[in-house]
Amino acid sequence: MHNETERRAALDAFVATPSGRGRPNRYWKLDLDALDVSAFTPNAASTTVTISAPNGVTACSLEEALDSFADIVARAQEHRGNGKFAHLTRAFAQTGAFVHVPAGRIIDEPIHIHTRANDADGAFALTIIVIEAGASATVIEEFEAVPGATLVYDSHAEVGESARLTASAIAHVPADARVYVTRSARPQRDAHVAFSHADLGAALAVAEIDITLDGPGANGELDALFFPSAKQHVDLLTRVDHRVGHTTSRTAIKSAANGSGQGRYLGIIRIIADAQGSDASLRDDALLLSRGAHIDSVPALEIAANDVKAFHGATIGAIDEEQLFYMASRGVPRDQAEKMIALGFFEPVIEKFPTDSLRKQLREALEAKLA
Amino acid sequence: MPQTGLHIHDLHVSVEGIEILKGIDLSVEAGRVHALMGPNGSGKSTLANALAGHPHYTVTSGTATLDGEDILTMPPDKRAKAGLFLSFQYPAAIPGVKVANFLHAARQAVRPGDLSPSKFRAMLFEKMDTLDMDAAFLGRYLNDGFSGGEKKRLEMLQMAVLAPRYAILDETDSGLDVDALRSVGQAVHALRATEEGKNCGFLIITHYPRILAHITPDVVHVLIDGRIVMTGGADLAHRIEREGYDTIRDEVASRA
Repeated sequence: MHNETERRAALDAFVATPSGRGRPNRYWKLDLDALDVSAFTPNAASTTVTISAPNGVTACSLEEALDSFADIVARAQEHRGNGKFAHLTRAFAQTGAFVHVPAGRIIDEPIHIHTRANDADGAFALTIIVIEAGASATVIEEFEAVPGATLVYDSHAEVGESARLTASAIAHVPADARVYVTRSARPQRDAHVAFSHADLGAALAVAEIDITLDGPGANGELDALFFPSAKQHVDLLTRVDHRVGHTTSRTAIKSAANGSGQGRYLGIIRIIADAQGSDASLRDDALLLSRGAHIDSVPALEIAANDVKAFHGATIGAIDEEQLFYMASRGVPRDQAEKMIALGFFEPVIEKFPTDSLRKQLREALEAKLA
Repeated sequence: MPQTGLHIHDLHVSVEGIEILKGIDLSVEAGRVHALMGPNGSGKSTLANALAGHPHYTVTSGTATLDGEDILTMPPDKRAKAGLFLSFQYPAAIPGVKVANFLHAARQAVRPGDLSPSKFRAMLFEKMDTLDMDAAFLGRYLNDGFSGGEKKRLEMLQMAVLAPRYAILDETDSGLDVDALRSVGQAVHALRATEEGKNCGFLIITHYPRILAHITPDVVHVLIDGRIVMTGGADLAHRIEREGYDTIRDEVASRA
């Protein structure tokens, strides 16, 4: 893992890096920039990483990979996320996962990376995923935490020419746990990345998801949902960076909040001046299910090129009365209708998750929140 | 002794403080077909929405009973459970809610536990077959991206699945769409041919008489300016077809 000097530098960078979520902050009770890390006393026993992968894939702990795949790990490290919480992971992580899919290999069965926070001392894990040219794989990043735990996780995927990666993560942890997740991917020429992500609450769930389109023809898709209820907070940042021309991306976010749940979403699309001919869309819809719930949603389109297509659309509000009346006129009581409409609202994002069991898990978790 | 029929007595309804219905008296008997006709703005859709319990429509006085039960004090879902069905001109789209799931939830709500899931499915396929509907409908999201004709067919499928005691069909604007008229006619006949639906009473609301070529009404009512001004047999619809509403309006004015 990182040596002492690198850890010090990462910790300094964590402190110095603003969370990038300075606005909007009218209703937001938490100041992520002021997060106190002095409570962490990380030790190796706090974090358990388990990896399962089908044949044809190299999957091992990151510690082992540093010996056997030093070059590949080092190259991937150059491009990994550099957000505030990625720095935090690097400062403390002593374990992690490494997945390598050789060129041209098509892997249908999903690869699972399970990260568990065993105690309240702070769990930290780093994941490196490398999909070589022409290969294809699905990775499911699972999190588990004991009550009161803090889990800090950072994963980065390098996706080679014409390769495909579908990667999915669900943060569904105890209501008093905290999770800080950073996920990033760098698809190269004609490569395709589909990220799906769900934050189903925790006392605090922070996620930063980045796709950097780094070769012509690269395509990124990012579907995420979040649902803070009771006194939960969710903070999601997505960023799609069009670094070269003729790259395409689609971002779709669905969020709901009930109880006193608080959500904040910052969605960034960046198209640099050289990235002509790019096409990006960003759509986010938020559903407020109680008076005490609040969601702030801020799109940020930073477009320096002139020959591009960029779409942004957003909605926020309560459930439509006409929809409720329609269902009631067919005998469906209001509370059941609200539940069906809210679950339906999430369905387009749920459908992007790659396995039946994930979709089922999501529907059940959402249903429980709506009960 | 509860009185069967859908009975509306001296019903006054306002929308945003403006009185639209000014005392409606109308009774639909079990197993009979009534048509409510009238020009634009006469209050036809207001009557349908007020009976179904739409929150924007305020009943200021009068009564409405369904087989002896006062429906005006019930929330909309209880009215459906009591046996009332309203087919909408413009049904709401609900993305993410699949037609099959919705139909099952509605049937369960209106007739709890009367069919096992497999019997429900069998019944659903049979009804869809009768209405010439493709099974692909079931996997689509409720009215989401549906054409006008598809929405109409789905409304009729819901009527078939729920087999109400009284069905109000708001066909105000569908007078010009031949396929829509045909599917409504087909659905009404199909429902009446079933054991559950043979005693269903219908109130068909329309501006244009053409739908009545597909469903012959037993009784025709003419609604003008929030009041029923004339009631007659099927021949009244033919008169409206020939003369429009103006001569009826004049006749009523000269009577007053």
